[in-house]
Amino acid sequence: MSSELINLEELGGHVSDGTSYHLPHYFHHLPDLPVVNIFGYDLQITKFMVIEVVVALLMIFLFVPLAIKIRTGKPLKGRFFNLLEVFLLYLRDEVIRPSIGKNAGKFVPFLWTMFFFILFCNLAGLIPWFGGSPTGSLSVTAVLALSTFLVVIGSGMKKYGIIGFWIGQVPKMDLPGPMGIILKPMLFVIEVIGLFIKHTVLAVRLLANMFAGHLVLAVFLAFIAGAAQILIIWIGVTFASVFMSVALSCLELFVAFLQAYIFTFLSALFIGMAQHQH
Amino acid sequence: MKRNDFKKRVASFFRIGGTGAYLVSLVAFLFLFAITGTVMASGSEGGGGAGGLNPLNWKTDLAVWTAVVFLVLVFVLSFFAFRPIANALDAREQAMHDRVAAAEKANADARALLEQYQKKLEGSEKEVREMLEAAKADAEKAANAIVEKAKDAASNEHKRALHEIETATEVALQELASKSADLATSLAGKILKEKIDPSRHSMLINGAIQQFTKN
Repeated sequence: MSSELINLEELGGHVSDGTSYHLPHYFHHLPDLPVVNIFGYDLQITKFMVIEVVVALLMIFLFVPLAIKIRTGKPLKGRFFNLLEVFLLYLRDEVIRPSIGKNAGKFVPFLWTMFFFILFCNLAGLIPWFGGSPTGSLSVTAVLALSTFLVVIGSGMKKYGIIGFWIGQVPKMDLPGPMGIILKPMLFVIEVIGLFIKHTVLAVRLLANMFAGHLVLAVFLAFIAGAAQILIIWIGVTFASVFMSVALSCLELFVAFLQAYIFTFLSALFIGMAQHQH
Repeated sequence: MKRNDFKKRVASFFRIGGTGAYLVSLVAFLFLFAITGTVMASGSEGGGGAGGLNPLNWKTDLAVWTAVVFLVLVFVLSFFAFRPIANALDAREQAMHDRVAAAEKANADARALLEQYQKKLEGSEKEVREMLEAAKADAEKAANAIVEKAKDAASNEHKRALHEIETATEVALQELASKSADLATSLAGKILKEKIDPSRHSMLINGAIQQFTKN
């Protein structure tokens, strides 16, 4: 009975990407997002694409004024800009610098962008009818993890040379001649696979956290529809579901920050490891 | 010579840094991106049972869009926001550092100056004490001298007064002697002029004594 009412396809539509917005009945249904033709390719615009652009514009509108305000070198005025500065300073002093060390300055802008892009994408999922979190899609998190990978191997190869970086993946060990010849290639393969796996896990961790959080929220709310047949049960379930949804939304709020922090922290750590070989 | 050149060139090729490294990693990125996309796309097509619910659903359009948006954002924000912010924060930190250092130096200077002044003050206190003691001693000496002088003057006055008294007594005695002699002479003359009987005699004597005492 309830399986008819809780339609997994329909539920998934609220959590994952789509081309139309789900609004309550009494609002007019917005038209579906358009298909744009770019050089002969039909690009279907989706909700996540819109959110990403909104997030990008929001970041530009937040941080460019901050950059203009802070240029004088005097302490900032106003709670909001100070709040942003606290975030930036914390990330730089407590996350990026300890992980990367001396050359941290070069990577600070990239990692700041990474943190706030992920954070705002995560938080977008908590805004009603906004369309979900783009970070709940592998297509987004994989690209973010690939960007970190790009910076890791790029900065590593810049420092140690294109060949030197890859050779440096094998830890330095005092192995007797023949053992070294056998073991070192094997270690090299393991280390390189490890390098790829680390970045894959980076993508999957963020994806799983965001997707699971939103799915659990959706399922809790779907219980209300599932219990709609009997009034008394429906009332009880509704109260419990709404309470749990509020509690889980608070948890989601925390997870949104936590995952952005973890992604940035691990990215900084990987960059640091590429900068300081064994 | 030529061989060395070749070696150097090879070595430098393998050590190229800078843009070359990032170019290579960009190629690697695109390569990996293409592989991931193909694998994911074929995978999700095969097992697309849950439809929109499958989080591993790969959408190349969204991935390319994300890559473009994110990379553009990184460059735009780095150039217009984050690099200026980082520089401003560094500049502010440096300024604070300088100010603290300057304040510390000023503090140390002030402390040294204070010590110097304290030393000076201590020295001057000692000096003042010495001066006061000297002045006190001087004053005592002067007072003693004055008292001594006064004592001398007083004793002189005393001596002079005594001398005057002595002189006056002597003068008085001499006067007394001359007066009593005169009286005796005039008394004797009276006695000689009058007839004297014993009662008259004693009366005369008494009168003379009275007169003498009166005198």
